[in-house]
Amino acid sequence: MKKWIPIASGLVAGFVAATISFADFSAKTTTEAASNTKSDAEKVYVPFGQKDDYYLFASGGHSGQMFIYGVPSMRQIRTIPVFSQDSATGYGFDEHSKKLMGDYTWGDLHHPAFSETKGEYDGKYMFATDVGNSRAAAVNLETFTTKDIINVPNTSGPHCAAFVTENTEYMFLPTRFAVPLEHKYESLDDYSTKYRGVMSAVTFDQSKEKLNVAYQVALPPWSYDLSDAGKKSSADWAVMTTYNTEEATTNLEINASQADRDYIVLFNWKELEKMVKEGKYEDVGGQKMIFPEKQKGGIYLVPVAKSPHGVDVTPDGKHFIASGKLAPTMTVFSFEKAFKAVENKDFAGERNGIPVLKYESVMEREVNPENALGPLHTQFDDKGMAYTTMFISSEIVKWDPKTGKTLDRVPVQYSPGHAVAAEGDTVSPDGKWLIALNKIAKDSYLSVGPSHPESMQLIDISGKMKVIQSSPVNPEPHYAQMIKADKIKTIEVYPKDEKNKDAVYKKDDTKIVRNGNQVDVYGIAMRSKFIFDAKAERPDVIEVNEGDHVRIHLTNIDFDEDITHGFAINSYNLNMEVQPGQTNTMEFVANKAGTYPLYCTNFCSALHQEMTGYFLVKPKK
Amino acid sequence: MKGKSKKLSVVSTLLIVLSALLMIVSIFFPWWKMIFFAPQYPEGLNIIVYPHKLEGEIDIVNGLNHYIGMANFSKANFPELSYLVYLVGGLAAITLVTALLRKKSVLYGLIGVFALGGVLGVLDLRKALHDFGTNLSPNAPIKIDPFVPPLLGHNTVANFVTNSVLGVGAYFLIAAFLLLLIPLWKDRK
Repeated sequence: MKKWIPIASGLVAGFVAATISFADFSAKTTTEAASNTKSDAEKVYVPFGQKDDYYLFASGGHSGQMFIYGVPSMRQIRTIPVFSQDSATGYGFDEHSKKLMGDYTWGDLHHPAFSETKGEYDGKYMFATDVGNSRAAAVNLETFTTKDIINVPNTSGPHCAAFVTENTEYMFLPTRFAVPLEHKYESLDDYSTKYRGVMSAVTFDQSKEKLNVAYQVALPPWSYDLSDAGKKSSADWAVMTTYNTEEATTNLEINASQADRDYIVLFNWKELEKMVKEGKYEDVGGQKMIFPEKQKGGIYLVPVAKSPHGVDVTPDGKHFIASGKLAPTMTVFSFEKAFKAVENKDFAGERNGIPVLKYESVMEREVNPENALGPLHTQFDDKGMAYTTMFISSEIVKWDPKTGKTLDRVPVQYSPGHAVAAEGDTVSPDGKWLIALNKIAKDSYLSVGPSHPESMQLIDISGKMKVIQSSPVNPEPHYAQMIKADKIKTIEVYPKDEKNKDAVYKKDDTKIVRNGNQVDVYGIAMRSKFIFDAKAERPDVIEVNEGDHVRIHLTNIDFDEDITHGFAINSYNLNMEVQPGQTNTMEFVANKAGTYPLYCTNFCSALHQEMTGYFLVKPKK
Repeated sequence: MKGKSKKLSVVSTLLIVLSALLMIVSIFFPWWKMIFFAPQYPEGLNIIVYPHKLEGEIDIVNGLNHYIGMANFSKANFPELSYLVYLVGGLAAITLVTALLRKKSVLYGLIGVFALGGVLGVLDLRKALHDFGTNLSPNAPIKIDPFVPPLLGHNTVANFVTNSVLGVGAYFLIAAFLLLLIPLWKDRK
């Protein structure tokens, strides 16, 4: 049928042309990690236009923040304020973050932990705890912003956290400092009877983005150092290290280092959950508190070489490894043996009402690489090999948990605390990259005076371990976690929220509403102007009376990625930001009469400098 | 052709029906679009024109265009978008009637109407581009010379390079038009 040829060819031509116009020619922009043929420089060089393979989420310690780096380039990408104010992003200045922070202005962010699904990082949330002011936080990874913070009652410094269970059912926050319940005054002479080392089981409701303390356990008045949740066959269990089981109340450096053995607390959180459901707890200031000496079950003690620091569960979930800190030993324990001992009630008595398992019946092997001192924390690779930081001998030791054999060692500069491998504490570590988080960097970088930044050293673990990059970092990464970049799905702009009463998306809808001495401004920011009241002679002016209670609700109606606006009022000590599409509120009392320019603080456009207005405060008569 | 015209062949009739269907289908696809590229927008910003709506990053483009004093692109500024669909529907209906009548003379008429509509459409778009590019607000913070972006192809204004292209819908319309021409060739005498 020749007649069809012109028709067909006409249509084909049309579609071809359309395809060419509409086709997506965007190139893929990820680099392949370490290949053995590359030089060290090539391994860490990520050319413009390409992106890193991994995100590194490093705790910011007493900066109260979280640092985001790209790996392998080790470029810092972002700082997320969590427990401390940050004027650059208005964190702690706008109403939402001010409420989150409560009355605190700083925090000590220790151990970050990704939300997990089936023991894998799922890239949805990041949790962290504040040792300084006993809080826990959840950070949303679509926006990289802090969504919730809770105060954890009855505890002081949840250093031993946050480590989430296999499906983010709980994160456990054991305390570093024992305190009396409800923080009451009690003499230190009564330490052993009146003080407790409370552990909190915290849940996170993803739909409401809310943290909640589900229950607490009044553990003995010891210090709890680090913990890890079980995996696979040990998924219902968790382990944590203790020190100061001596129950010393002064000069801990000496007095808490006397006993040859401290303990690992081994607990079954499913069983604790069941006890709470059955009402086996007491009410302590509104918290459901399990007292292990009264509500028995689910909690056991495993003796361990003195003052252990880290405890890490192997990727297969069969073993947990405690690091000696003061004893130069990594001890490999068997979950299976522990479960058997629990089942057979094979106990060596009790301590503070908690059954103690026999060391010999749970211990699998003690590993003591020659002259490796101060083992702290262990990460894993894809073959299950362990990488342990040696704080005192300043090195990373690679060893085989199945045989105890030392496989490789590499010096780092200096004194590593934690190390982090790519997804190195999940059920399936990637076996790529290890980063040593070093505490001392005195000769690594150009000098900046008597005190120096910390250092993060990137180690290629694809063959023999080799340090190939060193990156300075502000104080102070304790732990960090490294996640495959494609697991994180960020949004480009905040979607319109028609239900948000504070939001205004049209210039004409802007208004200033007065109710007595309460002034509500519903304004917008856009390139390159503020509009607070579209009908006013000067739409970018806010005029109030001295003493008025002012709420400025500002919506950024530039729905354009990275077009963020800032909003500051001169001399009023106020600044916040509105990201594209976001609505934020600033609330204050106009207690200073006078004329105060307001302006956009976040450079937004060629006419950013013109993005200004006035805040006029009429004096009281 | 001698004396009275014969009826169009069955194949030709089917082609005309197909042409009508393509016209209807074209409504659901963009007819024309302009893509804006700038150093800060390597991914490109789009104005995508359907016969009944505008899509793409219209708000962002408008936001940027206000710096040179250009009027906003919006459905309100293009009354054509409220009735163009009916015009296309009407044309499709006439095409179906032509297929029923199977008269060459009617087909000639249809082709004439189609061609006229096409020319008017192109002129209308050209006028819109001319108006937007030349009626720039005198109060604009950035003063530039008036300009007329081309219907098809590249243009450079300040830091933006625009590229105007036909959309899938336009290709459907062109195909529909070609289908109407084929019977003239097929049933030639």
